[in-house]
Amino acid sequence: MKKVKQLMAVLLTAAVLMTAVTACGSGSEGSKQTNTSASTAASTAAGNAQQQDTSKEESGSIPKEPMTLTVAFWDIDQALANAEKDQFIQKVQKDLNVTLKPINITWDDYSQKIQMWAASSQLPDIFSIDAIGTQYYRNWTQQGVVKPLPEDLSKYPTLEKYMSNPDIQALKQDGKLYCVPRGLYDSLDYCAHDRNVWYRWDLAQKAGITKEPETWEEFKSMLTAIVKADPEKKKIGGMTAVNVKQLGGFFWLYSNPAAMSDGSGSDFKWIKEDGRYIPAAFSKNTLPSLENARDMYEKGLIDKDIALVKGQEGYDKFASGKVAALLEVGYDNVSTKMNERWKKLYPDTHMLDSVKRVKYFPATDGTKYHAVFRTFWSESYFSGKIDDKKLDRILMLYDYFLKPETKESYRFGVKDVDYAKEGDKIKTLISLDELKKKQPSLEVIQGLVEFDNQFQYDPNNFTLDPRVVEIGREDMEVVRKETKIPEYQPQLTYVSTPTKDKFTIMDHDFLLNIMMGNKPVGQMWENVKKEYEAKGLSRMIDEVNAKAKEAGIN
Amino acid sequence: MLDKAAIPANRKYLKSKKRESLLKAILNYKYFYIMLIPILVWYIVFCYAPMYGTTLAFKTYNYSKGIVGSPWIGFAHFKEILSDFQYISAVKNTLIISFGKLILHFPIPIILAILLNEITKQRAKRFFQTTLTFPHFVSWVVLAGIITNILGQNGVVNQIITHFGMENVNFLSNPDTFRPVIYITHIWKEMGWDSIIYMAALAGINPDLYEAADIDGANRWQKICNVTWPGIRPTVAIMLILYVGNMLNIGGSFDQILNLYSSPVYSVADTIDTFIYRTTFTTGADFGYMTALGLLKSSVNLVMIYTANTIVKKSGEQGLF
Repeated sequence: MKKVKQLMAVLLTAAVLMTAVTACGSGSEGSKQTNTSASTAASTAAGNAQQQDTSKEESGSIPKEPMTLTVAFWDIDQALANAEKDQFIQKVQKDLNVTLKPINITWDDYSQKIQMWAASSQLPDIFSIDAIGTQYYRNWTQQGVVKPLPEDLSKYPTLEKYMSNPDIQALKQDGKLYCVPRGLYDSLDYCAHDRNVWYRWDLAQKAGITKEPETWEEFKSMLTAIVKADPEKKKIGGMTAVNVKQLGGFFWLYSNPAAMSDGSGSDFKWIKEDGRYIPAAFSKNTLPSLENARDMYEKGLIDKDIALVKGQEGYDKFASGKVAALLEVGYDNVSTKMNERWKKLYPDTHMLDSVKRVKYFPATDGTKYHAVFRTFWSESYFSGKIDDKKLDRILMLYDYFLKPETKESYRFGVKDVDYAKEGDKIKTLISLDELKKKQPSLEVIQGLVEFDNQFQYDPNNFTLDPRVVEIGREDMEVVRKETKIPEYQPQLTYVSTPTKDKFTIMDHDFLLNIMMGNKPVGQMWENVKKEYEAKGLSRMIDEVNAKAKEAGIN
Repeated sequence: MLDKAAIPANRKYLKSKKRESLLKAILNYKYFYIMLIPILVWYIVFCYAPMYGTTLAFKTYNYSKGIVGSPWIGFAHFKEILSDFQYISAVKNTLIISFGKLILHFPIPIILAILLNEITKQRAKRFFQTTLTFPHFVSWVVLAGIITNILGQNGVVNQIITHFGMENVNFLSNPDTFRPVIYITHIWKEMGWDSIIYMAALAGINPDLYEAADIDGANRWQKICNVTWPGIRPTVAIMLILYVGNMLNIGGSFDQILNLYSSPVYSVADTIDTFIYRTTFTTGADFGYMTALGLLKSSVNLVMIYTANTIVKKSGEQGLF
């Protein structure tokens, strides 16, 4: 009996040890990917010997050699979960003779995961992140973590055209591009709709307002009237936002529109003031915007809980009448997130009969500006470990995705199965819900190369409420006719200097701080400047001005 | 008379005897030692081996060369950190919140355990224990949502405040009220769970001592002071050392603060952990810089645990080492 016990003890210990060793030995998902891509690369190399001259034959037709591409993209595991039955993804894989292996990332963890994979050499073949302007982007490009694109892209004509956008060309480092930026629009005009403030016109009317506000003062008066009257007796607050990082996109329009950033802190714009370039956020024009924000907050025209707003809370508050106005991004969200909530609460009224978008108010210099960011957001990178053959196939895939016929497919499904085309008109053969079930990859995979936001304005768009599409198109006309993009020097945003590479400007942080603070605005603003000065603001300005001079930027 | 020359020989003899007896003891209890191996392996693989990564604090990380091959840069990261006002502010906040929690939170589970121990009805005791322990199992992500709603402009607390004619308070966005909220919510969430160890210590007190105190005519308060408290004092001492040693982590309360703070309260809420998180994943700072930040924090923790241990030992308790 004793011996059995002893034997059991030894066996159990051995089992625990084996488990530990096995656990240590079995690498993470990422290392498996690397192994897969390494073995794929090895087999590719072996195949290369026999297929030296096949590339010409392959161009324009299906590549003969099958290839697996690991892809890290937001929620891609759900998109490709049913890949065997998804006709769209099957067609893509067949046309390019590739198998897309999903490596999931989510909106919450992508930045952490990708930085960890980069540090442990486990990057997938294709991965998505918004890295431009960050310190790690510089390191990745300089230390071979990501593969540069070939200088000659003529083999991929659609991609070549796409990459010729000046906004993208400005990203070149030593004549090379290291990523494919994920396009949003083909013009900066559309950035106007990246920050929209919607207000409850129905409540404004009940509060005695008869004219839509056309200036900041009128807007403030309208909000004051709604908050004071509280027509639905819900203790209504002023304006809230979906995300506080977006606040600058509205408040800077008051006096310093170039100060706005996408929230990353690394995309700050440079303007010329007193004969030298400075980050726009530190312009003399900043103070009036801060004072305006404080004034609105103190008068109760900004929701007191705005600093803590999370997730979809902003939409909920707005639809349920707990706030009078909402700052959000994109007309697609208006059609989906806002309208869906509205329909549930007020099934008898169309949202657009009760809700209006604020007009473009004249800034302190009398000009009407609109929000401006970049024509892209986030980028596709290709692991530095992949060989040229694999890069070639990836670029073929990107070229394929940008072609008008592919765009049509990921907008409407498979031709003659999910939709039919009569001239320019698209006739859908199944409902949106059915399409989502049938081709689940469409919703996600369309953003792999570009976000296709332009589709928001397409009269054929059947995924959005037609009235929302219509007012979006109408408003875009107003943007083009009445508003201006503030002046700034786009090239300097991407300049690399020792201090600038580590420098971030969190304009939304100090805007929110000062707006909600209780010390005088001027004093708080001076403190912010001192803090940034301690981080090396003047040094960075000197370095960037020297670079601008070298590059002949005046 | 003692032969001085014989002393070293005696020591040698004693040492070899000791070694012999140690080997004998190991051999006698070989199965226990075998069972210890997985734990040792775990420590070596997950705690000691990764320590080579701390060298990054003195290097600038190069992706293509890895940790070992990255170039050395001496104390550059430390110089940069110590001249960063945001880091200094984060250290200050961490220490304030840590000491605040030490003073306000640490005694609560002890008091709670003693109070629960005084409840004679078992069902009532279990009810209170379960109710008070439950919040520990709810994540800060969920709790933060609940707290934000309760303390929001239209939340219950502000409704009560306004009902009495006072003005709304921005509890979570106001630098004056943020830290008290942190202390109160932390106490509420953890007091039940933290009292378990003291409940265990109380269960270990010999009941004869209470009987003896009863015979001596001691009242309830006197029994708490003279029997209960001395019975749990060594546990309190050990817990205090462990708390102080881990204070910068507890004080940092990464989950709690990350889910409740916002930029208007960074000046009083940004701790070392939240600062590291923001710097790493928002601005993408060098991994060497981040390692240096972590190393600095561990060094402070080490000094604190050593100091606490020394103080506890000097006050007559056993200490940890």
